[in-house]
Amino acid sequence: MSLANAAVVTAPRPSSAPERAPQRRLQAVPAAAPRRRPKVGYAIVAFGGAVAIAVAQMSLSVLTTQSSYELAQLNQDKRAATLQAQELRDEVAGLSSPQYLAANAAGLGMVIDGAPSFLRLSDGQIIGDGAAAGSASTVDAKGRGAVGNALLDKRPLTTDPEATIEGKKQETKAPVADAPKAELPPPVTEGLPSPTTR
Amino acid sequence: MNPIAKRSSRRRTMVASGFVLLVLGGFVLRLVDIQVVHAAEHVEDAGSKMTTAETLWGNRGSIVDEHGVVLASSTMTYDVNIDPTLAKDLKITDADGTKHVRTWDEQASAIAEVLGMTPDSIKKIVADKQATEPESQWAQLTRGVTTAQYQALRNLEIPALDYDAVPARAYPNGAVAGNLIGFESSDGEALAGIERWQNDCLESKNGSVKYQFGADSGVRIPGSEKLTPAQDGGKVQLTIDSDLQWYMEQMIAEETQNQKAVTGTVTVVDVKTGAIRAAAQYPAMDPNDVLATDPAHRGSAVFGTTFEPGSTFKAITAASLLEEGVANPMTTVTAGDFERFANGAALGDSHSHPVQTYTLAGALIDSSNVALSHLGELLPDEKRWEWLKKFGITGGPVVGFPGEENGFMRPPSEWDPQTHYTTTFGQGFTATVPQVVSAYQTIANDGVRVPLSLVESCTAPDGTVTTPEKRDSERVISEKTAADMQLMLENVAFQSSVADQIRVPGYSIAAKTGTAQKTDSNGGYKAGVYFTSIVGFAPAEDPQYVVMITLDEPKRVTSSAATAPALQKAMTHVLQSYRIVPGRSEPETVLPMLK
Repeated sequence: MSLANAAVVTAPRPSSAPERAPQRRLQAVPAAAPRRRPKVGYAIVAFGGAVAIAVAQMSLSVLTTQSSYELAQLNQDKRAATLQAQELRDEVAGLSSPQYLAANAAGLGMVIDGAPSFLRLSDGQIIGDGAAAGSASTVDAKGRGAVGNALLDKRPLTTDPEATIEGKKQETKAPVADAPKAELPPPVTEGLPSPTTR
Repeated sequence: MNPIAKRSSRRRTMVASGFVLLVLGGFVLRLVDIQVVHAAEHVEDAGSKMTTAETLWGNRGSIVDEHGVVLASSTMTYDVNIDPTLAKDLKITDADGTKHVRTWDEQASAIAEVLGMTPDSIKKIVADKQATEPESQWAQLTRGVTTAQYQALRNLEIPALDYDAVPARAYPNGAVAGNLIGFESSDGEALAGIERWQNDCLESKNGSVKYQFGADSGVRIPGSEKLTPAQDGGKVQLTIDSDLQWYMEQMIAEETQNQKAVTGTVTVVDVKTGAIRAAAQYPAMDPNDVLATDPAHRGSAVFGTTFEPGSTFKAITAASLLEEGVANPMTTVTAGDFERFANGAALGDSHSHPVQTYTLAGALIDSSNVALSHLGELLPDEKRWEWLKKFGITGGPVVGFPGEENGFMRPPSEWDPQTHYTTTFGQGFTATVPQVVSAYQTIANDGVRVPLSLVESCTAPDGTVTTPEKRDSERVISEKTAADMQLMLENVAFQSSVADQIRVPGYSIAAKTGTAQKTDSNGGYKAGVYFTSIVGFAPAEDPQYVVMITLDEPKRVTSSAATAPALQKAMTHVLQSYRIVPGRSEPETVLPMLK
């Protein structure tokens, strides 16, 4: 059947039909809803977040590596301090050795006496000779020093600068091969805790 | 795609994406090239140029004395090397722009001043190396430089110098106990003494740390460290008292020189514990300067000398007789000063005297060889041989010190007629100083022999203390025999010819001298020279310390009287050091010498 016929054959509509028939009127497309601009906030958040992550990562890595620069500096300071400590230890090595102390004591006129006396505190009794020490020492620690110590390296006695533990008179010219004076360690600046000492 | 899009814009898009893909492909290729094809090379480069390793030095353990005084400690020395190719004039630009030249001569003089060498010797070392190996970049200037010198050299800022750190030992007390402590070679190998004996306790292991470093020197990349920790060595504590040791070394040096003897030793042992408090000798060695000492004196004379003990062993013969019950201190024997025996032996005393009747105590007081020979007949050879062995003769090293000798004694079946008698007065067999001291320690300790010891303990870095294994103490003679022996020896000290020289005011001591002939290598004895010794213990009422002095070939006084002043000084100082209160100054019973 052709459309035309269909149009004729169509059953008559009730009188209210014209209101329900679609209005076939061509109209221009109604004004499109204005295209909304995307919210700037989201962009800023997204972009800012990415930047923030990048910045955070860089600064964290800078901070962690910064400590390694400090560490390198501290290691250097520690090495310098260790070397200075070793130098100072070498300088005083031998100063507390018995031969040096005995020679110094002899230089002051002290003697190792033969016969000791004892004072018993409970009753004040003197056991033994009770005599004062004589002027003769049982060994001659200064004049006939026979127990050597190469660490003292011909260092003069503190109580008699012209003698050494070997008992010989030292020449007036000071020996050349002295260790150079050790510098004091650098002052500790901020950051390092200092140990508490009694 | 938008169908309405123009073909031109589509083409543009295709071209653009094609271009992007091309660049991406290039990157992928490069990536594959780096990660896969040349991977090994790059890893190697990173390894060599970016990682480095440092040695963490472990400290070798220290050796300390009875009171903790350090006798040996670790220190660092440096070997100084020079690069001959860089040993030339330097053009230096100062901070303010001025240029000047630092000549090789100047540099050599500066180095020489620090090292104590001459500039010519330094230039010669470099010149020799340049002549023989022109391409070489290494020549050794010197070894064993101290830290102060190392710092001074670094301050000179000479680029040709290079340094190797080498751990070494320092001996703060020098020659005090030097022969006991021993020394190391320049390569750090322990060669003698306690350093070698206790090496297992003392030795340390170096660690290392491997890390990657950044472009700035010294900056480690955090997290890239691989650490192997260093292990320190343990601390060895000796029984030696370093102050007493110093006094004994000084005293025996003076006495050896006074008596014009070859060598001298002093040994001090604690009776109750067997601890060796001093083992001094002259000449002594300073381990800080080993090369300055004659190689013959680099070991321990106390542990390494064997000698025929001589008259000191008359006391052991007497102790055997008492313990076997065949004699008592009053047993008499008639003896002249020379006798030819029935079996063909002939021997005499060291001093002339008429034929007289000695008690056993008197035979010891007068130190009569003939009297002891007769008394020795009361026991068969086998028994005397057994008793000598019980008192430690040929019993092996007493302490275990490196190089410690034993002694030598033939079995009784091999004793010739002369030896049959000479073994009663300490000739015909050899012993070491510790063996003689140990025999007297047994008598002084009421008959109980405590093994001598030199090493107290080893303390590991984590704090665990290990004490060396010692043999058990054993009873050798009964308390009664020991008491009789102590009384007789006290009388010897009180009445013998050296009594005045050895008297310690305020104390009563016990002692016995020994004048022993020395063998020439032909089976006879040398004439006129003796190995003299004297052993004493004090105080007599409760013996605390045994002291033995030896002087080899004294010439001023050739008999054992040469050792008497040394014993007096040694004993006085020992009693004083250990604060032993004076007691009686005479024996309780003065035993008669003659009947």
